Amino acid sequence: MTQSLTIRRILDALPITVFVLLFLYLSLNSANFLSFPTLELILKQAVPTVLVSLGLATVIVAGGDDVVSGGIDLSIPATAIICAAIVADQVTNHQSPLIWGLVLAFGAAGIIGAVNAGLVVWVRMTPLLATLATSVAIVGVTKVITESRRIGVTDPTIVFIRDGSIAGIAAGVVLTTIVALAYWHLVHRTKWGMNLQATGGSRDAAEISGIPTNRFVVQSFLLAAFAGWIACSFVLARGSGSSPGSEENLLLEMVLATFLGAAFSPRRVVTVWGAVLGAVLVSALSVGFISIGVNVFWTGCIKGVLILLVVASAAAGREQ
Amino acid sequence: MKYTKKLAAALAMSVSFASMAAADGHATLEGKTVGVAVVGTQHFWDREAFNGAVSTVEELGGTVVPVDGGRDNQVHADNHDILLNQGVDAVISILGDGAVEPKFEALKAAGIPVFTVDHQSPHAVNNTTSDNYYMGTTIGRYMADAIGGEGKVAVFNAFEGALRICGIRAGLWKYVLEDYPGIEIIQPELAEEFANAPEDARQKALDLLTQYPEGTLDAIHVGCWDQPAIGIVQALEEAGRTDVLVTALDGGPDTLEIMAEDGSPFVANVAQQPNLIGSTAAQNVAAHFAGETLLPQTFVDVFPVNGQAEAKAAYEALGYGTLD
Repeated sequence: MTQSLTIRRILDALPITVFVLLFLYLSLNSANFLSFPTLELILKQAVPTVLVSLGLATVIVAGGDDVVSGGIDLSIPATAIICAAIVADQVTNHQSPLIWGLVLAFGAAGIIGAVNAGLVVWVRMTPLLATLATSVAIVGVTKVITESRRIGVTDPTIVFIRDGSIAGIAAGVVLTTIVALAYWHLVHRTKWGMNLQATGGSRDAAEISGIPTNRFVVQSFLLAAFAGWIACSFVLARGSGSSPGSEENLLLEMVLATFLGAAFSPRRVVTVWGAVLGAVLVSALSVGFISIGVNVFWTGCIKGVLILLVVASAAAGREQ
Repeated sequence: MKYTKKLAAALAMSVSFASMAAADGHATLEGKTVGVAVVGTQHFWDREAFNGAVSTVEELGGTVVPVDGGRDNQVHADNHDILLNQGVDAVISILGDGAVEPKFEALKAAGIPVFTVDHQSPHAVNNTTSDNYYMGTTIGRYMADAIGGEGKVAVFNAFEGALRICGIRAGLWKYVLEDYPGIEIIQPELAEEFANAPEDARQKALDLLTQYPEGTLDAIHVGCWDQPAIGIVQALEEAGRTDVLVTALDGGPDTLEIMAEDGSPFVANVAQQPNLIGSTAAQNVAAHFAGETLLPQTFVDVFPVNGQAEAKAAYEALGYGTLD
């Protein structure tokens, strides 16, 4: 009994210990790793991942964190990319105002959220397969819109998100913090959020308590698509336009960030703040490895092993 | 044999020219930290240009901060922010689309000179690249000759508007074809994916072959590089089509190998020297710090490859080994 408690304590402390040691190593080997500009850079580069992870966290909270049968939405990055393509196409190729592009993109995101919800709630497809299929379809439509070509954007609002600052902090970081606070408040601090968590915790128990679980699952997919829509302006700012092929990396980082975040939560569950923290840590790893000049051919491997170590220890801790 | 000798002589000249700056003694990167940003390392060309730049910076005594965009142009652009934050002395940036321009501007504003490879930019000190003009016109002539000066041609041309080098290559290919009124370029042009080019081009070529049955299509050309051509050749084999020829640009070992096969539909290419291009960019950084004034562009020789025999000769001359 005591031995199993000790193992559990070690496993509990492992994710944080690994990251603390890693960041100590990075700061000792890179003069400016622990500096304000580096911190701001890490946050800036985490922005698109943070935003799409907010959507994924919401869907997982509502559907449960079993990767196969629980809540998951793999189409959020594709939603962000198609919305970015729609806005770029409108603004650059059709000389429409930015707001019109955003309105059209909002409509597209709404349709995607509704289709995902319909497939999961009424057709009863597993969310993993349903959203993977919609993601593939969305990427296909994006290619039709962009003809697989880059569309540059120089709209002043997008340039402001890229280069501007609010109270001395990068505009993208400030705006993303506001969005993250809104999602956190909604999911973790409102009655609606409590019902959402109850739906994900145990669907049967929630239904017995009179919670309309299907409605909450539908709303979670709509909120996920909304996160994709918000992310599109930041994706456009990051690339100064729409570049084809950005959804794959964003998808990988979103899934990693969201589940990595769960490894740091006391109950090992996906939370909005966990997802934000996970996205920032993934970004910090990238910046840190470059700062100490790690061979580019090894970066992906080292990053993958570290994340695996953290997530595996969290899973083992939960088993214990 | 004649082609092999010509190729070997030209190669020797271009390599010795590129190493002149190092040999004269004053070109050094001692005490300098140089960021080398590459858009990806999966494709031979990108990896070789990156390796050439990194090894030459190190040979010249400099320290390298390497970054890889994983073939995502947005990640590649973001990586320049990390180099700016690191306070490197110079940046060599390999490829990338318009997403990198604001990053170059910020580096320049911070007093960090930018040296590009295959990416012309008003914010860069110098761009090292192949002779893209010669590439575009030569592949135009070779392709026109291969199909007898007339016929229908499909083109994969995703980057003509996004990358200046591709604009030059595809634009001059079209310019040559203006003199061949019997050649028709099928519209709309095809657009290949950047990250997964061979498989994507294979799918699109299969669709194209269904749309254009036997005898209605004469060639498929890839406007700026050669990775899609790998998938196109696969599609032709799968469809059992022998009536369509393939031409492309870059001439990496993988596509020269395909060209060297008996009865290969891949008939013309123009080979570049990516390692030398990356190395020359690093030499230019050293020359800049030595106070030399660089021209806006440095051109590195290319080698036209017309047919199976020349593919085998080029493969050997470029140091990729031998093909029987």
